[in-house]
Amino acid sequence: MSQGQLAPQAIQALQDLTILFGAPLVSGVVAHVEGRLQGRRGPRILQPYYDLAKLFRKETVVPDGSSWVFLVAPIVAFGCYLIVPLLIPVLTTYPLPLGYMGDIIGGGFILALAGFAVAIAGAESGAPYAQLGSSRAMTFGALIEPTILFVVFAVGVITATDLPYALAAIGRSSASEIVRPAHVLAAVAFFLVVLADTGRVPVETHSGTLEFGMIDEGRVLEHSGGPLALLRWGSAMKQLILYTILIDVFVAPWGLAGDRRPISVGLAIPALLGKAIAVGCIFAIIDNSFSKLRLFKITEFLAAAFLFAVLAVLVFYLGGG
Amino acid sequence: MPHAAPSTFTGSADGIAILVLLTEFAMLRAQLLSSQVRLYAFQSLVVTVLAVVVAATRHIDELYLLAALSFVLKVVIVPRVVLRLLSHAEVDLAGSSAFGVATMIAIAIAASIFGFFSIGALHVQSTALPSTALAISVAVVLVAFVLIILRSDVVSQAIGFFSLENGVSVASLVVASGLPLIVDVAFLFDLLAAVVVFGVLMRIHHRRTKTLSTEPLDRLRG
Repeated sequence: MSQGQLAPQAIQALQDLTILFGAPLVSGVVAHVEGRLQGRRGPRILQPYYDLAKLFRKETVVPDGSSWVFLVAPIVAFGCYLIVPLLIPVLTTYPLPLGYMGDIIGGGFILALAGFAVAIAGAESGAPYAQLGSSRAMTFGALIEPTILFVVFAVGVITATDLPYALAAIGRSSASEIVRPAHVLAAVAFFLVVLADTGRVPVETHSGTLEFGMIDEGRVLEHSGGPLALLRWGSAMKQLILYTILIDVFVAPWGLAGDRRPISVGLAIPALLGKAIAVGCIFAIIDNSFSKLRLFKITEFLAAAFLFAVLAVLVFYLGGG
Repeated sequence: MPHAAPSTFTGSADGIAILVLLTEFAMLRAQLLSSQVRLYAFQSLVVTVLAVVVAATRHIDELYLLAALSFVLKVVIVPRVVLRLLSHAEVDLAGSSAFGVATMIAIAIAASIFGFFSIGALHVQSTALPSTALAISVAVVLVAFVLIILRSDVVSQAIGFFSLENGVSVASLVVASGLPLIVDVAFLFDLLAAVVVFGVLMRIHHRRTKTLSTEPLDRLRG
């Protein structure tokens, strides 16, 4: 290793730390912007950090009859969200040592495992609303799955690999790759998947406690104290991970560090957070411009996402579009 | 091996064709009859833009005339006529169709996959021809058929028929852009005749059954 360069392992740790400590910031800024859009002053930008600190100080209450699963699940989910940033391009254009540990499907599996852990904790609590949330999250998760698979297929046929780094590299190679029809369709499909997976408006209202429309939020109703803090932190991290994949793999894979000098890696962190906040603001605008779909209309939304993903594969596979 | 990105002409032709196909899918979802007519107007506008793009990149001046004609006819006149008929009928919502929206879209996806693969099996690939756009136009025609078959109201069936013509226009633009102008204009006047026929049918049907749904027709016995 030459002088003045960061070790790859250090950069990899930095990727994790960026997601870990950047996620509440992104959530805070987006919540603030959202408040402004609604004519409120909005919460402080650092509010998510204060919330987490408060929750960690509070005592943990466990529902009667629930087992150790209830307490372990939030830790499992949190661990999963810490693994995924190792597999995707967060700060660098070049793959890091553990980057080949899993491909894009592997990352999807780990995210699904986290969702499964949270759902099973909700079911374990025995409370009706948490169980309702778990069951709905699993149902709609199963309906989103085909779309995710076809987005993966689209990445696969475009790059002839299944590595997120490869698609990002192709996207950076020329602007015409970003606007080619197959890529645009896959990106739109993934955008809709992110919208659904982060619990944003056409699918779910992420703020407020209206039980009838709850999907993801409903699962954590019975948790408190430290486990709840981990779950909240985890969902902020999941949001930032999905934004990162959307940005660094599909839409704007620029501003990443191309070498291992501390300055370029250091600049990649604010670049990523800035882009993530910009994406979050787009989601906030969507949140304020559309109404939530009725629960049984969500399938129409997911059918639209599936349509985009299928077209992406077809357009590329039969004609090279 | 990963393919290179398509050229500007091919890419934009494909992109516009995809937009036509997506509007066709949006028509499947539209519940308001008037929004279906507006979607048709938008789709026709997109087809007009494609004609202008082809005219500009391949230097075929006649296509500008065709684009102007199809703009006047398909974006302005036909939607106006149908909306006027609708305002007389005083029916806003399409009746319930045989399947839910998600199922209809799944069926339409299957139909368009069939269209894609049947064009792919023909091996009509050449450098000058955007074969993706050709496959998409076949998919548009098939999805229009799905719309006509699954929706049970007169307006959706008429709009499905008109948009089928849009799919054919896309195909003729990308495959045979040097087609004699008289043939293209003949297509347009075919459409005009169809509008008149469908208009008369809609009025008579509405006068007899007081609805735009085709379900009363199923009860007819010889």
